[in-house]
Amino acid sequence: MYKLVKDIDGNIKSVKRLYDNAFIPFDPANTDYQAYLKWLEEGNEPLPADEEK
Amino acid sequence: MPIILDGTAGITTPMYGGSIAANAVTPVTGFKNRLINGAMVINQRAGGTVTINSAAWTYVTDRFCFLGQSTDGVFTAQQSSTAPAGFNNSLLVTVTTADASIGASQIYTLRHTIEGYNVADLNWGTSDAKAVTLSFWVRSSVTGTFSGCFNNEGTASYPFTYAISSANTWEQKTITVAGPTSGTWGTTNSNGIRLTWSLGVGSTYSGTASAWNYSTEYFAASSTTNLISTNGATFYITGVQLEVGSTATSFDYRPYGTELALCQRYFCKTFDYATAPANNGGNNGMLMCGTISSGNYEPNAMWRFPVEMRADPTVTLYNPGTGTTGQWTSGGGTTSSNARIGSGGTGGIVIDNTDTTLTGSSNWRIQAAAFAEL
Repeated sequence: MYKLVKDIDGNIKSVKRLYDNAFIPFDPANTDYQAYLKWLEEGNEPLPADEEK
Repeated sequence: MPIILDGTAGITTPMYGGSIAANAVTPVTGFKNRLINGAMVINQRAGGTVTINSAAWTYVTDRFCFLGQSTDGVFTAQQSSTAPAGFNNSLLVTVTTADASIGASQIYTLRHTIEGYNVADLNWGTSDAKAVTLSFWVRSSVTGTFSGCFNNEGTASYPFTYAISSANTWEQKTITVAGPTSGTWGTTNSNGIRLTWSLGVGSTYSGTASAWNYSTEYFAASSTTNLISTNGATFYITGVQLEVGSTATSFDYRPYGTELALCQRYFCKTFDYATAPANNGGNNGMLMCGTISSGNYEPNAMWRFPVEMRADPTVTLYNPGTGTTGQWTSGGGTTSSNARIGSGGTGGIVIDNTDTTLTGSSNWRIQAAAFAEL
């Protein structure tokens, strides 16, 4: 399971992999991001990002 | 070495009793080894003996990773100080639960992936593809014909075999491969060449040895020895080198700091070298900062990576002390709840926090590790 993460400007540019709390950036060359895209293709959806304080 | 220039004899080197040509040695050039950490010296993850019991790639010594299965066979992997002459380390595999009947699609392997930038000059996938030679030292308690494979990220595969003829004895193996004239081979920061050593591969992923095929993804040669089938079996490997040409030459020793920096392009951490990344792993190397108040107080630290990483890395955060894992901790023992990567790239990241209740009077601390392996 993944959760979207907002950056300092409020944009969503990464996800948090919840089983190990790893932050995965939206970089096509990142192998964890490639795995996330496959997970999406299987019909899964990430949890929404937290609202900014 | 003295050199004599003589109008009759030409150029001679009397100390060695012959001509320049006769005394010539193979020139030593830097970076002839396209692999990184082939001597298994760098071990940033410092994980000790790692159990491989899942189908997830697991790194042990830097740049070398293992794939196992979630059921059936289990093995451990660790950096070892058992090594052949000229080396100080190796990578050791020990089978702890044998799989004597490997399923057709099951894969137990050791893998090293070379980044495209480091093999772009080989022209693989073209009519100008260059030959390469793989050499390595291996020692196993099991004898037989073992195998491995060259791959791209698609279906280009070249299974190879090598014989281990004497149990528990170091042997150097050499495999020369003609460059593939087909297939897509990465030449930038993606996969260039994948090298696999089979510890046990099922029939679906095993193919004909010593020939390129461009239609099936293989990781081993058919009908070869499977280490995973023998409980207690051991397998050591070191001195792994891939070089251009058809001859294996001496191992390309690089300075320790250079080899470490090469590894850090793919994995680095704030922790001391010998400390395994973990929560409650101590303060050495940690990032520490006060807080920035913008309505609420929050820690905000910059981590500049030791070298430019291959890609924007996956980052895992660690609490240096006790308390909630992956969170900032204060000198007073308070932990945050919402540490995050506020911004990042291949050069570094900003770690901040989105709590609303932190105070501004503490020194906030955090550790991190960055992963950009292939």
